[in-house]
Amino acid sequence: MSTTDTVPVRTDGEPGPEPRPAARDRSPATSRRLRGLAERHALLLLLVAVAAFFSFYPPSAERFATSANLNVLLGNQATVALLALAVILPLVCGYFDFSLGAVAVASTVLTAGLMSFRDLPLGVAMAAGIGLGVAVGFVNGLLVTRLGLNSFVTTLGMATLLGGLIQWYTGGQTIQAGLDPRLARFGSATLLGIPQVVYVVVVVAVLLWYLLTQTPFGRGLYAIGSNPRSAALVGIRVQRSAWTTFVLAGAIAGVVGVLALARSGSATADTGTPMLFPALAAAFLGATAVRPGFFNVVGTIIGVLFVSVAVSGLTLSGASAWASPVFNGASLLVAVGLSHYLGRSRGVRT
Amino acid sequence: MSSALAAAAPSDSEIALRVSGLGKRFGATVALDGADLALRHGTVHALVGGNGCGKSTVIKVLAGVHRADVGRIEVAGRTWDASDYDPRTARAAGLRFVHQDLGLFPQLSIAENVALDAGYPTATGSRVRWGALHRRVAGLLEAYEVEADPRTPVGALRPAQRTLVAICRALQDQEADQRLVLVLDEPTATLPQHESDVLLEAVRRRADKGQTVLIVSHRMPEVLGVCEDFTVFRDGRTVAALVGRRPTEQDLVRHMTGVDPAVSSDRALAPGAIRSGSPAPRAKQLRRGSSPAADPGVVLSVRGLTGGPLRGVDLDVHRGEIVGVAGLVGSGRSSLLRTVFGELPPVSGSVDVRSADGPARPTQDIGSRMDAGVALVPEDRAGEAAFADLAVRDNLTVTVRRRYWRPWGMDTRAEEADAGALVDRYGVRTASTAIPLAALSGGNQQKVVLARWLQRTPSLLLLDEPTQGVDVMSRADIYASVREAAAAGCAVLVASSDLLELCSLCDRVVVLRDGRITADVAGDDLTPDGLTALTQLTADTPPRSAAHQGAIR
Repeated sequence: MSTTDTVPVRTDGEPGPEPRPAARDRSPATSRRLRGLAERHALLLLLVAVAAFFSFYPPSAERFATSANLNVLLGNQATVALLALAVILPLVCGYFDFSLGAVAVASTVLTAGLMSFRDLPLGVAMAAGIGLGVAVGFVNGLLVTRLGLNSFVTTLGMATLLGGLIQWYTGGQTIQAGLDPRLARFGSATLLGIPQVVYVVVVVAVLLWYLLTQTPFGRGLYAIGSNPRSAALVGIRVQRSAWTTFVLAGAIAGVVGVLALARSGSATADTGTPMLFPALAAAFLGATAVRPGFFNVVGTIIGVLFVSVAVSGLTLSGASAWASPVFNGASLLVAVGLSHYLGRSRGVRT
Repeated sequence: MSSALAAAAPSDSEIALRVSGLGKRFGATVALDGADLALRHGTVHALVGGNGCGKSTVIKVLAGVHRADVGRIEVAGRTWDASDYDPRTARAAGLRFVHQDLGLFPQLSIAENVALDAGYPTATGSRVRWGALHRRVAGLLEAYEVEADPRTPVGALRPAQRTLVAICRALQDQEADQRLVLVLDEPTATLPQHESDVLLEAVRRRADKGQTVLIVSHRMPEVLGVCEDFTVFRDGRTVAALVGRRPTEQDLVRHMTGVDPAVSSDRALAPGAIRSGSPAPRAKQLRRGSSPAADPGVVLSVRGLTGGPLRGVDLDVHRGEIVGVAGLVGSGRSSLLRTVFGELPPVSGSVDVRSADGPARPTQDIGSRMDAGVALVPEDRAGEAAFADLAVRDNLTVTVRRRYWRPWGMDTRAEEADAGALVDRYGVRTASTAIPLAALSGGNQQKVVLARWLQRTPSLLLLDEPTQGVDVMSRADIYASVREAAAAGCAVLVASSDLLELCSLCDRVVVLRDGRITADVAGDDLTPDGLTALTQLTADTPPRSAAHQGAIR
């Protein structure tokens, strides 16, 4: 039932010190709207500005704005972008998941290992990699939501555990032989001039955007992130919803692992941290844009692009290898500082 | 009552603390209007009175939390002007406070809790002298009759012991010649009976050794058992100072309510027998003609409900009826509402909710109760109702999210329109529905929370302290909305510590005491003073009038 057709006009005009809300004051609202507009699109403007700068800055101008560079940039950032999307799911509910980087690497290694050591077909190996992500997400969700463990520590422990298992499974070696060549072909192929892996990111991003902003479930997740006690008392199944975000995030991280294998053509044992931190940075940067104060899909994608465009420009301008992590770290600090300063920081529970 | 005042004439030398002519206003509200209080050395003194009588304000003035407008405070011969008195003065004067929230750290040991207040004894290099600390605290614990090792975490202690630890922490710097005054603010409100007995006996024995204690309490039998002197407040004034003589429970309640006991004589305990001298005209009486008897349909039926503080509650709420729940802190008001809402599982007993579609599913969780048409506005707005950083619109539509879902996404236009309509209908003052809820005043936030539920046209609306921290204008709006919902057939159950609110809003009020419903008051018997008496008294209640069935034990 809609309330619009049942609203009687209040006629019992009790004398109030303020005007009725119908008579809303325009001017502060307008200025607020302008400020909000600027706040929402600041990161996008910054991205355009940085891209424009490197397109005209002499040391990088020649190679920066070429389709070849764009392809490399998008293709290489696809995994980070996808991982950032996975990261925001638990963050929307107020939980960290630090294990997602390790989950992605574990998925890479398992997918490669099943093909290389066991000669299993590509489909089965991929399913196992993604299934591993689901399983780890399930366990994380169980520990954090059902047993009430601290998400920060729990997922950090899970990341360390997975890092060890990865070392054990690969023996510290890179897995290169015996991989299905179709995977590497997919990873390097382009469609309409854009790397195919980018389409995977786009599809997942659209699905996630729909889930978070266009479904009652997604609305519920933001409510949980805002105040879990209140959420429970308006009938939202808090534990189950938060648990679901861990499982979904794990599944996406599993996909990230398969994509990473397709891009690089080999599986190297590492802890996943080198991929997780840029993803976290992008997620927090994204929370300052589009819907400031809240983790959101579009902002996260803009965040990934911003960081990667800047790093690519710096590299092409001849900056050293250390420039990239310095920029990542600095932009993360600025992003978190900015969102706190804007008074919208929602204090992610750790 | 002035005769009682005249009886209070202890000589100046035995006075440990004297407060005279204390006045304090909060805006237009007069909280204290010439309150007096005199404590004799080495006695346990009770400060009693109904809700809103000014007890808490006096304590806060004594602690220096509030600054009084006018009055004098005299401790052990030294006099301060009340308008020039702050927390440091209170400490220097030798007043020590233990509040209902004890402010202990449950994970830390007793010794650490004590040391965090007074400082750790240290040796060279700031090394903590644990041995010295433990010996000192062990001595304190012995003096205050806490049988525990100083290394025990406070969380592992019994409730009464925890309060005693807080007391010995507050009094730890007391030396033989310096006499401190201990102020206990509602020390037993959340304690079970046997725990408060233990605590009060320990306090009594301290007093016998010369400790001066001021106890603020709602529980009459307890203060009667332990206190020697009594001061009764009403409407911010001292109406009785009973020194060195034991009043009866009825005496105290008579002073608290200002009603001559001769009128009610032996029926003093009957619900509503104590009447206010001049009942104010109430809006409720306007709608009495159309109240519950018109539709006898029972919406909520609670039988033998136990769980938490509840010890067998029977209650029926009818369609279109506004029923109040009165009771002291710890009586189980909130627990009753939360159990009905399906948040707390009952240990035994039954809760039946009948919506328009017939009996609800038997499963007892929030989701199925909401489906049955139950709505809860919780007491702690910030902690349990608000989504402070979400938009007003999201706060409104959160209970009906599914209404707006279409396969292509959320129908934000309909959502926006509905939210705007709710804001207008319930008089929420906000610049737009897109700003965060936190930008609204407390009263407007509460209207949003209420509107969130009323748009579902609930069949049973549960309100827990619906106007706590709400300004007067919003309060009137909230009452109007609740009455409108009831007039449309919604059954309403209101738990409140504001007895005036219950009297003006409700058709009838049930009184919860020790987890049971001990009285059921309706009609002209429903007065704040009558309710004060019923919530305070502990003697068994005789059967009440047969106006409503089934709700009395």
